Amino acid sequence: MLIKYLFAKNEDIPAGSSSVFFGFSAIFWFVVGTGLGSFNAAKLAFPDWVTGTEMFAFGHMRQVHVLAVILGWISMAFAMTMMYMTPALGNTKLWSEKLGLWNAFLWNVGLSLGLFLLWMGITSGREYSDIIWPIDIVVMLGVLLPLGINVWMTIAHRRTQGIYITNWFFGACTFFILVVFAVGQSPELFNLTGLTEAYMTFWFAHNVLGLWITPVAAAIAYYTIPKLTGNPLYSHRIGHLHFWSIVAFYSTPASHHLMSAPLPEWLKSFASVEGVLILIPAVAFVANILLTMKGKWSLFVENIETKFSVTGVLLAIPLNMQGGFQQTRAINWYIHGTGWIVAHAHLALLGMSTFLEIAAVYFGLQQILRRKLYSLALANFHYWFVLIGFCIYWISMTIAGLIQGAGKIYEVPYIDVVVAEHPYMIARWVGGTMVFTGNLVWLYNMYMTAREGTVVPAGRYAHEMAYER
Amino acid sequence: MAIKFDQPFYSLSDETEQNRIIELWEAEKHGGLWEGNNRLPFPMVILCGLIIVTAFLVTMPIWGQRPNAHDFVEHVALMDTPEIQAIADPEAKMAKIHEIAYQRADGRVKASLERHPITWDDLLNLAPHIKEAQAAGQYPLDYLTVLGDRLVLANFEGNWNPDGSRERKQPWWDSGYLIDVFYVAYFIIFTVFVCKRLPHFSRKPDMSNAK
Repeated sequence: MLIKYLFAKNEDIPAGSSSVFFGFSAIFWFVVGTGLGSFNAAKLAFPDWVTGTEMFAFGHMRQVHVLAVILGWISMAFAMTMMYMTPALGNTKLWSEKLGLWNAFLWNVGLSLGLFLLWMGITSGREYSDIIWPIDIVVMLGVLLPLGINVWMTIAHRRTQGIYITNWFFGACTFFILVVFAVGQSPELFNLTGLTEAYMTFWFAHNVLGLWITPVAAAIAYYTIPKLTGNPLYSHRIGHLHFWSIVAFYSTPASHHLMSAPLPEWLKSFASVEGVLILIPAVAFVANILLTMKGKWSLFVENIETKFSVTGVLLAIPLNMQGGFQQTRAINWYIHGTGWIVAHAHLALLGMSTFLEIAAVYFGLQQILRRKLYSLALANFHYWFVLIGFCIYWISMTIAGLIQGAGKIYEVPYIDVVVAEHPYMIARWVGGTMVFTGNLVWLYNMYMTAREGTVVPAGRYAHEMAYER
Repeated sequence: MAIKFDQPFYSLSDETEQNRIIELWEAEKHGGLWEGNNRLPFPMVILCGLIIVTAFLVTMPIWGQRPNAHDFVEHVALMDTPEIQAIADPEAKMAKIHEIAYQRADGRVKASLERHPITWDDLLNLAPHIKEAQAAGQYPLDYLTVLGDRLVLANFEGNWNPDGSRERKQPWWDSGYLIDVFYVAYFIIFTVFVCKRLPHFSRKPDMSNAK
């Protein structure tokens, strides 16, 4: 339905169209991404599951899973929120709905092509920047640049003099991700090898998290929590501390991912200190949001969007405690290259970030479609399945990581470690499959919301109205 | 936009600037949202300070020290003494060696021995290599890292020696920390400046007429 607007005049396109396009695309890719995750986890838990076909080998499928989630679910959910929050916060409309629609369209086409090639085994072979360079250029010019232009121009055309904190992050992070992406692909574009290649690749991997996924997720919470609670954001100046400490401390410690590599020791020392200092933006963010909740904690139980948002904020605490300390020399030697890291990565992407995005997608789609959520019961099913599934995954992989670490240090034969980990691999699959199931229900719930949700009267917010189912 | 320094803990903006900011603050909402002018909670400031101190303390290379040949010199010397030879049980032998060596060790070696206990069999494998390194005298023993039952020259690049070579001991401090000290200091100065340019936190914007 939205495709017809691709060739319409900008003024004829209903406000929020691009946001809806991005929103449903994001949910679709989340279902695909977590479905692939469940499939891959089954391969680890039951090694005889689907063998003999190269396309379905773990090495192929893992890349598709990771990039479907990062570029499909997480980044498209970000784009969805940017398309409706940025203009709302500037008391204006989106600079170009048409550009937004083309952006969403090209994003889906580029991602589908990139993932298909990965599935076929055509890959750059670099973790997180696995997609080959021609598709990287599509991502740069057809995905990230148009998104940035739309956000920057909307901010520039705002009708307020001040800029709300969420838009600081949106404006800055859409710029950061362009730089980060370009640097991350440079080993392939310029044939860089050795340590330079490793450092560039992990500078990219680190900053995709540090300057894109976590700060944009936090920026979303700065919008959703005040909106849902009706409270003002607790403190503008804590917002400054959060923003500038992200810029200063999160952008620098890429080499803490390579503590065992022969990089200069001074660079590791520098990065390791900065890595712990990541706790400063985390403390600022969590404090600012939780203090904003003052007097409205009942919403944590009653309101589905607040439930997701606050859970995401609370998950930022273990995320940054782990992240801050696991990269130090004293701990990294033990957990490096183990399932602990996999658990931590999922805490960032499936925990903190995803919960905040889900809340924003629930809120935004109801608001733009002017439809009340079809079913609260299904939304609660979604919440609990994603939360419990995630917790099972995170805890089981953390334990598996500690076992692997012990096996590595005490030189236990690898096959013995594999046997010891088996129960946790099954738990991992159970947890991941619960998340996938919850997301299938979410897709259905949002589809039904668009089709049959109760109409929200003009001037009202969906979350102010009672649920009917 | 004037900056004043007469009351730096109150505000770095003069009254005119503070009034201008508050007026703007009170005039507009952002899609119905606005931000409070609350202070950084005092416990949070303390917590940030604690994080900075912790960041330096927990990342010091001392927590990642590897054992080196010097740590076990005393063990090697003791293993051939009549007192130790008289003990038959390997575990008891090792316990006695450890007890004596630990008493004689300085603080750094004590810490290393606590973290890197070895068995009698380990010592039997290691001793010939340590004796060989002592006899050769090519490198100070604390340049040689114990890796399983081997000694390898550490690849650390520490201070410069008078002969132009580099110390191969893991340094407790390097230029990375020095950069961090300046980096963190600049960050604190910048952030304090940004926050203190705002109207003092006692001035709460009245948003009742905001649009």
